[in-house]
Amino acid sequence: MLVFTRRLDEAIIIGDGIEVKVLRIGKDGVRLGVTAATHVPVHRREVYDQIRAANAAAAAAAMSPEQLVARIRGHLASNPKPTLP
Amino acid sequence: MTSVAVDGVVTFAEGLPGFESCRQFVVVASQAMQPFTVIQGLDAGGPSFVAIDPRRVEGEYATELDRVDLARLGSTGQDPLLWLAIVAAREDGSATANLRAPLVINPAAMRGIQLIGVDNTYPIDHPLLVT
Repeated sequence: MLVFTRRLDEAIIIGDGIEVKVLRIGKDGVRLGVTAATHVPVHRREVYDQIRAANAAAAAAAMSPEQLVARIRGHLASNPKPTLP
Repeated sequence: MTSVAVDGVVTFAEGLPGFESCRQFVVVASQAMQPFTVIQGLDAGGPSFVAIDPRRVEGEYATELDRVDLARLGSTGQDPLLWLAIVAAREDGSATANLRAPLVINPAAMRGIQLIGVDNTYPIDHPLLVT
């Protein structure tokens, strides 16, 4: 891992098109500004990881819609008041 | 039920988180599958998902697309878009819909994205009820 010390308003460049700039330094966090081409996805790590896990779980359990409907109906019949997670 | 039809191969240029190497998908919909749709990855190891129109799950569902999202979809902002929430079947027979990161497809350009909106506060595991 490359490690940099950056001060307020200083930036780093990744490749030739991505800039990460320090916009604010607070007690509880650092505010960063990312400038990148529109085809470069930029996400918060924890959100991305959560969605990746959800996609993997959904793909692993994928079944035909008919099977899915039958399963859900069976589940609701045996759990008339499903509790919210 | 969706009124936006997609016929052919849709390109997700960035792939989907966890399946970045699969870029080509087809949308399979039929009367028999209603209200569900199947999203089938075409590239090797491509995933298959069951999905549903998020408005079927949450009637007031509305999520903003910004300028960058529209550009990624090749959309002018006027094209009708297909919105799909990925459904996850659980061990106990229940199922949930991912309203946090819906798939958005622009049939006019045959391009799609999985929208990871910064301001989207919908749940990733909304319970699914079938009537």
